[in-house]
Amino acid sequence: MSAVAASAPAAPVAIAAPSAWKRATRSGGLVIGIVLVIAMVLIAICAPWIAPFDPDDQDVLMKLEPPSAAHLFGTDAFGRDVLSRVIWGARVSLFVGSVATLAGILVGTVIGIISGYFGGLVDKLITAATDILLSFPQLIMGLILVAVLGPSLFNLILAIAITAIPAFIRVARGSTLAMKERDFVDACRALGFGDLRIMFLHVLPNIMDEVVVMGSLWLAAAIRTESTLAFIGLGVPPPTATWGGIIRDGFDNLLDAPWLSIFPSLAILAVMIALNLIGDGLRDATDPRTPQ
Amino acid sequence: MLRFIAKRLLLALPTLWAVLTLVFLLVRVVPGDPTIIVLGDQASPAAREALRQRLGLDKPLLVQYGEFMVQIAQGDLGRSLVTNRPISTDVAAVLPYTIELTLAALFIGSLIGVPLGVVAAQKRDGFVDWLARIVSLAGLSFPAFVSGILLLILFAVELRWFPVISTVNTSDPLERLRALALPAINLGLLMVAYVTRVTRSGMLKALSEDYVRTARAKGLPARLVVWRHALRNVLIPVVTVIGLYLGVLIGNAVLTEIVFNRPGLGKLIVSALNQRDYALLQGLMVVTALAIVVANILTDLTYGLVDPRVKTA
Repeated sequence: MSAVAASAPAAPVAIAAPSAWKRATRSGGLVIGIVLVIAMVLIAICAPWIAPFDPDDQDVLMKLEPPSAAHLFGTDAFGRDVLSRVIWGARVSLFVGSVATLAGILVGTVIGIISGYFGGLVDKLITAATDILLSFPQLIMGLILVAVLGPSLFNLILAIAITAIPAFIRVARGSTLAMKERDFVDACRALGFGDLRIMFLHVLPNIMDEVVVMGSLWLAAAIRTESTLAFIGLGVPPPTATWGGIIRDGFDNLLDAPWLSIFPSLAILAVMIALNLIGDGLRDATDPRTPQ
Repeated sequence: MLRFIAKRLLLALPTLWAVLTLVFLLVRVVPGDPTIIVLGDQASPAAREALRQRLGLDKPLLVQYGEFMVQIAQGDLGRSLVTNRPISTDVAAVLPYTIELTLAALFIGSLIGVPLGVVAAQKRDGFVDWLARIVSLAGLSFPAFVSGILLLILFAVELRWFPVISTVNTSDPLERLRALALPAINLGLLMVAYVTRVTRSGMLKALSEDYVRTARAKGLPARLVVWRHALRNVLIPVVTVIGLYLGVLIGNAVLTEIVFNRPGLGKLIVSALNQRDYALLQGLMVVTALAIVVANILTDLTYGLVDPRVKTA
């Protein structure tokens, strides 16, 4: 009770929240997406306790075993338990995806706000560079960067983050341009606030919802890129279990052990669907133009 | 029309120049000595110096840049570090397969996506609309290699309707089509998703506009109103989306080729990566950049065909 009273200044937000929440949950997609993602994150965090086997433990007597009671998802060509590898693989995919997306959001949003806020030559140069980078497909860009930098956990995150930056520059710049014309920004100027203060304390909070919607869709793209690069052989080096890497192993035994590819594929699919549902749900909730 | 094309080509030059510069810098800004990456750290200094000279890496960066640009302007992509064959020959040999696959996917995407989006918008929240949403969610969610592998397992391994390995070097057109089917469906699924989405939302908006109400009011059959009047105005965003995602399509074509073991740019990229053939990789990046710039120009030209108002603008 006292906690509610203490947060009195937040009251207007609390009034606005139910309608947005109602709009978002009406279709059910957002809720399903959030539940799925929370489940995945819990699985990734609790991997050491819930995985039935060590993901790297090889059992030469149990090579390419089909799914059974002991090995629910079967075993791979080294006799490793596929279920345990899929569970551990969630860690790499979610970690790389979220760190890369966060880095992309951070850098992209800051550059985008600066570009939109100041305008002029800086804006022209940044916009031109963004357009050129965006004309290159994310997948090819990520592939080239990792190929050039060499596959490692850090380089993977760096490459995926770089591919995400231009998209966030564009979103943040566009929203900042719209915000700049608003009265409250004029008011801030009249009060003598500095540019930095206006940009990051006043403009930033107002463009955050668009950045967040974009972020959830880009998280899906980042995880997709990570698993794709792993599938091509440019992911976190083996023996670390990654979803794309497990599928790559399974691809060599597609004819006699299809389960090796199927289970990690389903894991990737579940995350992709969940994040797309969240992204669409958030967009519907934050976009007032969405038909009710 | 010719003036429009000429103007568009001229506008594409700065983009092309910037992308080529990016490619040039990317390959050279690499941390570490490229000769060590190519030859391994056991290579003798003499061998590394020889390679450096062969690659022109001993010259100043600006000279390298000039030579790089002149070479590309002449259509010369350099030679492979591994096979020493001209890269343009290798690319020309496989490019038709990638183009064939991409066009087939575009065809499938428009053929299914446009009608699906139109019908979904017409009967909002109906069965088709629900189906359209599932299809587009699935299409956007599947990484191309995942859907490719699942298609392979289902239709090639289990049902045996299609060959597991695409034999494209056949003169029998039916056999060639059969080999193309699964990869094209795999790549097309993505396009169906994009096209359905944009058609549906465009149609929803168009159907509430005045000219549609007028057309209905003067007693035109619903079929005509939807498919002729409304759809025409939706085609511009549809073409834009197709053009916008052509780059994504090229990226996913690479993956599809790897999964289905089809010849094409994809397999060339993977072999360049595996053999650390940086010259080949650079050449392939140039080709990809060119393809995307050309795709953007074609998209703009299509506007003129879809909407006669664009030409005069």
